[in-house]
Amino acid sequence: MNTGQVISGIGHAGLIGWMLFGGSFQSEPLPFEVTEVSVISSDAFEAMLPSGSVPDPSVDVALPVEPEVTPDPVETPVPDEAVEVEPPEPTPAPEPEVVPEPPAPDPEPEVVDDAPVQPAPQDQAVVVPEVAPRPIPRPSERVAPDPVAPPEPEAAPDDVQQDAVTESETGETQVEEQEATAPEEATTEIVTEAEEPASAPTASLRPPARRPSPPVQTAEPAPEPETPSTPTAEPADTTDDVNDALREALGGAEEEVPQGPPLSAGEKDALRVAVSNCWNVGSLSSDALQTTVVVTVDMSQDGKPVVPSIRLASSSGGSQAAAQQAFEAARRAIIRCTRDGYDLPAEKYGQWQEIEMTFNPERMRIK
Amino acid sequence: MMVRALFLILMCLIPAWALAQNGPLRIEITEGVIEPLPVAIPDLVLEGGAAGDLGQRIARVVAEDLTGTGLFREIPSSAFISQVSDFAAPVQYADWKAINAQALVAGAVSVNGDQISVKFRLYDVFSGAELGEGLQLAGTTDGWRRIAHKMADVVYSRITGETGYFDSRVVFVSETGPKDSRRKRLAVMDYDGANVQYLTGSEDIVLAPRFSVAGDRVLYTSYETGFPRIYVLDVGSVQRRVLESQQGTMSFAPRFAPNGQTVVYSLTQGANTDIWAMNVASGQSQRLTSTPAIETAPSFSPDGGQIVFESDRSGTQQLYVMPAGGGEARRISFGEGRYGTPVWSPRGDLIAFTKQSKGRFHIGVMRTDGSEERLLTASFLDEGPTWSPNGRVIMFARETQGAAGRSTLYSVDITGRNLRPVRTPDGGSDPSWGPLQR
Repeated sequence: MNTGQVISGIGHAGLIGWMLFGGSFQSEPLPFEVTEVSVISSDAFEAMLPSGSVPDPSVDVALPVEPEVTPDPVETPVPDEAVEVEPPEPTPAPEPEVVPEPPAPDPEPEVVDDAPVQPAPQDQAVVVPEVAPRPIPRPSERVAPDPVAPPEPEAAPDDVQQDAVTESETGETQVEEQEATAPEEATTEIVTEAEEPASAPTASLRPPARRPSPPVQTAEPAPEPETPSTPTAEPADTTDDVNDALREALGGAEEEVPQGPPLSAGEKDALRVAVSNCWNVGSLSSDALQTTVVVTVDMSQDGKPVVPSIRLASSSGGSQAAAQQAFEAARRAIIRCTRDGYDLPAEKYGQWQEIEMTFNPERMRIK
Repeated sequence: MMVRALFLILMCLIPAWALAQNGPLRIEITEGVIEPLPVAIPDLVLEGGAAGDLGQRIARVVAEDLTGTGLFREIPSSAFISQVSDFAAPVQYADWKAINAQALVAGAVSVNGDQISVKFRLYDVFSGAELGEGLQLAGTTDGWRRIAHKMADVVYSRITGETGYFDSRVVFVSETGPKDSRRKRLAVMDYDGANVQYLTGSEDIVLAPRFSVAGDRVLYTSYETGFPRIYVLDVGSVQRRVLESQQGTMSFAPRFAPNGQTVVYSLTQGANTDIWAMNVASGQSQRLTSTPAIETAPSFSPDGGQIVFESDRSGTQQLYVMPAGGGEARRISFGEGRYGTPVWSPRGDLIAFTKQSKGRFHIGVMRTDGSEERLLTASFLDEGPTWSPNGRVIMFARETQGAAGRSTLYSVDITGRNLRPVRTPDGGSDPSWGPLQR
């Protein structure tokens, strides 16, 4: 212990000493640099002056020097009032070199003229924002959510659809219609393809993990060993009602909801942008555009809203009819852009299990 | 000690912070998109009688009405995955979702003699539910367009929350011939330019027809006697009569009050033009303004309490508002240029006007106090705005430049979007939009 303290004490003392000495050593090189620079620049400058012997530019150079010396109170009245005031000025002026430069009043008004020139660009700046404020950001917003959609590369589901059609009768016409129509209408509608593949794999992956839990609640001792056997048998039988089974399973697993930390600002923004891009207020009445609605929605763990749970919590600013119109537009927005589920972190499901969305159309209002 | 104290404080704050996170996740959405709502309107199912292609024609009119507003976008039938072949069959929402149809209008039509019956339902596809209840309309086969317009009105109303304006008519001046010898006559048409009917001949110059609030009468100015005089025409019987006026005066620019009993107009005596009001039944008149300036183009507010008019009392042509019974007027237009032909919105919140500035004409709107002026159009000559019954659209006349210039009716949304011509067989000017028919 003592030796350690001694060593550290010596180390600290050495460090402090080095800091003190280091500061004193640095003072030497300073005078060197200052003298060299000043000597070189003055010579070069003097050599240049005789060659360019024109006196006029020297007047221009002298101008910035003048305000530093004294004449601020004197100069301003000079151009405004009269030239007669100028004779008394050279007498009090301490610097004789500055005085012989009477042409100074000529450039001074130029300086005064420069000031009014500045507001001109301000006027131009005011005009510009009136040109096209709105249309630019919207197309970009529309584009934003689409790249998230994974279904585009999923061309494989098309083949699945064709197989299903061929099993039924008159498969030729149906296949032709689907191929022609889907690409025509909209890029976002590729979801058609996304719905089928999304329902199959997601349903088959998740139920095995959660189905054991519901039977545990209904019958504690027996179902636990049975559950591993039931999922093996169920996939063969349940091919149509997978979604229903999912809903039940998710509902029974509420106790195991992962809370996780609160959503980050970026995750909230992603959700906000996703809903915003589907919130179409173009068909709303001006009264509805005056109405702010608060909508609550329950979310399933796969990031999809539970449609029946979407409800109007409150509204403000408009009539009841307008609130209803605004609510329906908000509901369409929540449902439209969630075919694959919102991109929300599953480990924080408890944080977004219930969402309260405030749709405020103030910025979208028709004025 | 200090470290322990800080640790204890943090431990106390953490539960409070956790409690603050309880409850639903809250987000606020302030930015949306403004785009036409995709709507699918398949042909109406034929349920009986010799309907022919009536189901298709009705569907086309409904689609044109909705898309003509600029608020809807029709999804072409070639994109449909499933068809509506049975009105009573359940809707395959997935098929309509797949083509991004947010609304679906499914209907059926049956014909019995000269009677037609149309029923339809409106579906909110993404909510998977019907929007409102089904509706059935009946009429004559000749009136199938009106039935289609009424269908479109219901759809428009249920989605936007505003009343529609498709089942309405417009009275206007039909113009034919070159500019130097143009023939004008009064005509009335559906709002979309269909079913044009002429109310007067083309022998005399007629100007500025104005519908009554009920849509049963039309006021207009005629030069039949060589001087402008105001006539009242009954639209149903096409009977007309002249409004009494003082000898040696010129009266013009008439407009009905909301009560339908009073008419305001301009009366020129000598070199002075002022605004007067007259009771249509008794013929008793009252002077509302008394200045040496030219004052004309009066228009009532929807509640009948105020009148907006144009006057050059300030030296330039500007807009003023005064009480309906006359009195002190306050100026509401202060922008550069000249303002004229003001018309009060049926909603009462805006005033439409014609503005001439820097050699161009504009149709614009402003608040009733003159604030928030907004120009909607710009051309060689735009003039004579008139409001749709719901106050969402403005119709006006646009004349092209040159000797071969032609006057055409146009409509524009109050946002300035969706400017489009109204299809009329001939040229048109001085439109006046009538009320929604019943």
